[in-house]
Amino acid sequence: MMRPRISFDDTWYPDFAERMENDGPWGDFQLYKLAYRAEKELLLPDFSDLAAPRHLPHLELFPHQIETAKTVIEKMHGKAILADEVGLGKTIEAGLIMKEYMIRGLAKKILILVPASLVLQWAKELNEKFYIPAVPQRKAYVWEQCDVVISSIDTAKRSPHAEIVLKQDYDLVIIDEAHKLKNHKTKNYQFARQIKKKFCLLLTATPIQNRLDELYYLVTLLKPGYLGDPESFFRDYRSGKNKVKNEESLRRLVNKVMVRNRRVDTGLKWPKRIVEFFEIPLSKEERTLYDSLNTLRETEFVQGFSLLTLQREACSSREALYMTIKKMLDEQASERTRLHEIMAPILANIQNATRHSKAEKALEIIQALNGEKVIIFTEYRATQLYLQWFLKQHGISSVPFRGGFKRSKKDWMRTLFEKNAQVFIATEAGGEGINLQFCHHVINYDLPWNPMRLEQRIGRIHRLGQKEDVHIYNFATKGTVEEHILKLLYEKIDLFENVIGELDDILTRLEIVSLDKEIEDIFASSESEGEMRIKMDNLTSVINAELAARKEGEADGTTCDSSVFG
Amino acid sequence: MEQLAIHQYLVDYFTAGGCQILECRPGFLKVKLTVALDKLLMNRPFYWHYIEKIGREPETQVLALKTVQTEEEGDFIHFGSPRLHQIFASTKNLARYVRLYEERPASGKTQTPLYPWLGMNVKVSFQCNLKKDFLFSLGLNLFNGTILNHFQEKLESLPLTPKIPDYCYTLTPMIKPQSGLRRLEAVIEQVIAQEDFRWAEEARERLQNDLDLLERFYEDLDPETYGAAYEKEKQSLIDLYEPKIQTHIINGGLFYLTEHAMHNF
Repeated sequence: MMRPRISFDDTWYPDFAERMENDGPWGDFQLYKLAYRAEKELLLPDFSDLAAPRHLPHLELFPHQIETAKTVIEKMHGKAILADEVGLGKTIEAGLIMKEYMIRGLAKKILILVPASLVLQWAKELNEKFYIPAVPQRKAYVWEQCDVVISSIDTAKRSPHAEIVLKQDYDLVIIDEAHKLKNHKTKNYQFARQIKKKFCLLLTATPIQNRLDELYYLVTLLKPGYLGDPESFFRDYRSGKNKVKNEESLRRLVNKVMVRNRRVDTGLKWPKRIVEFFEIPLSKEERTLYDSLNTLRETEFVQGFSLLTLQREACSSREALYMTIKKMLDEQASERTRLHEIMAPILANIQNATRHSKAEKALEIIQALNGEKVIIFTEYRATQLYLQWFLKQHGISSVPFRGGFKRSKKDWMRTLFEKNAQVFIATEAGGEGINLQFCHHVINYDLPWNPMRLEQRIGRIHRLGQKEDVHIYNFATKGTVEEHILKLLYEKIDLFENVIGELDDILTRLEIVSLDKEIEDIFASSESEGEMRIKMDNLTSVINAELAARKEGEADGTTCDSSVFG
Repeated sequence: MEQLAIHQYLVDYFTAGGCQILECRPGFLKVKLTVALDKLLMNRPFYWHYIEKIGREPETQVLALKTVQTEEEGDFIHFGSPRLHQIFASTKNLARYVRLYEERPASGKTQTPLYPWLGMNVKVSFQCNLKKDFLFSLGLNLFNGTILNHFQEKLESLPLTPKIPDYCYTLTPMIKPQSGLRRLEAVIEQVIAQEDFRWAEEARERLQNDLDLLERFYEDLDPETYGAAYEKEKQSLIDLYEPKIQTHIINGGLFYLTEHAMHNF
């Protein structure tokens, strides 16, 4: 066996010689002993096992997180895709791996690329939870002078930053939301590929295993050549447009570079999800308003998808509807156009619809909770403002929250909610990157059509750290588009019981690119209620058949192919 | 390192550093820093620059450290604290070189000879994409060539002083310190040679494996366009896996010890 050459420390002797020559200065023996003692404490007597947990006594690490860190370091040699389901702590795993490499002196120069909105959150977590002095990149000199730098990929890839970044010699590169790199054609991907790195972690929340493109290019980013060249890879593993073949062999390959923990496998006791549906009848005036939108179907102005948008808004609040109509009218050349004429009766109906059945229901729920905190999600800003006003009329304090807020404002709003307010009213984009585990009631005031977004909403509170069971209240107005959605997504597919990740797999298998797009198409293209119902039923039954097939596969122990990498 | 041991370590550290201990009880320590430690630990270069420029008497800072959470005041120090690691690192800078003499009660008027030893604490690291350390504490008698392991533990049982005690004289080394250092390195090499080197073999296999994949990946691509990328990635793989052994001398020094001490080793 060939022994590696030893390189002896040659920095010590020259100073020693000088001190012998000059008769000092000599150090204190107490400190000499303490230095030896410190080194003894910091010694790493084994190649394996994690030293980091000892350095992080405050951090509650879960077994699957420790296991993941060990697997990545010892078996995957520090090149891995971390693809845990939402809420299992991917950032904690990444932080733990980073800390371990830093303690072992294997990584010093580290680059962390994350979405712009998460830069400060990463910095905060690494500093506070891991005692890693990570610096958000703000000035150009940071790239070269700081060891651990966090930046958005959009900043990093731009001149003059890109040139500096590509000159650095990184020990570890971490890319959060790596699925956003998509494929080799994007600038982001090209850039990421060029960065010089030893270790590399790619974090992704979406299960990429059946998206061959993403899978291939992410793995190639980690280990060029591991999946061969693109041509032979797609020849061997792609059948048709989007389907996977030779799954068994692909799974074996990918399992060596990807960790995907699923909730069910963690063995942790998760708080329960208690889901309630509310089909809320519209008031007479609301009904009149909603139905009057149908008159638009016959006009040249509003068709298919736009009508659907207006209908969905009407289900949320008249304010949301009004904002859109007003915008349409403002775009007209004069104030006496045909559109004004058509909209006049609708505007009158808006005037009349002063009651908000959904808001009343929400109030009822909130009041019954005796001061327990509640999050309300709505898709519309106008509804958000209305709700804030409405709750205030009833003596309930609330905090508005939007994705567009700056990080500091987000943190401030979160704190306000935790300390001073009972209700947190968030619009859709507000869901990302903020943890609200101290609350366990969620009202989905409008239901999103994309189930992944719903999962992200719930994931804000149904995550590690949540001590209570989570209550979810889903609203849908009776006899409207919302009811169809509720029926399809949330009852027939039983979305809340089925893990969202599985649904995503199934959609991929069915070559359905996105469920919300599919539903929109059905709505837009159907001539009648009846036709729409039939199309929706078809969609539901196809999805359910796949789900059932999976369940069977799991039950009789055969590998269930659509969760091949689970 | 338990909290109790950390507390003791801090007390020893600030005492050795010459700081005034203002308060000290289990779980809590408050010290007035010396100028040297203030500069080393408190990271306020502008203050020092300013004070030295205007020539004013500096006011050093008071540092409060707690090792139990229940104390109100002070930074909480545990094994992962950046402050503790800063202190660990500073010990190496403050005492990388020592020269000490053994102090024995004088026996009558006879002069006691002291034998020169070169003592050294060395960390040896095996490194590929993983890492493992060994700690050696070696002593070499520069008068007769005797080599001892666990030298530090032995030193710590002796009464040592920085000044040569009365009625003692030092023997002139027969081995120069520099060649002494080479001898100790040779010892380390011999001891290490007994280790299992499968780890290095495996790392080289991994390297070869990944290099092969990389080569096949670039095989059909135009070297004009992709040559630089290939070279860069190849180098990254070598940096990652190539097995190395490195030594790091934590600290070391000259120790003048009696014959008596040597017999008891």
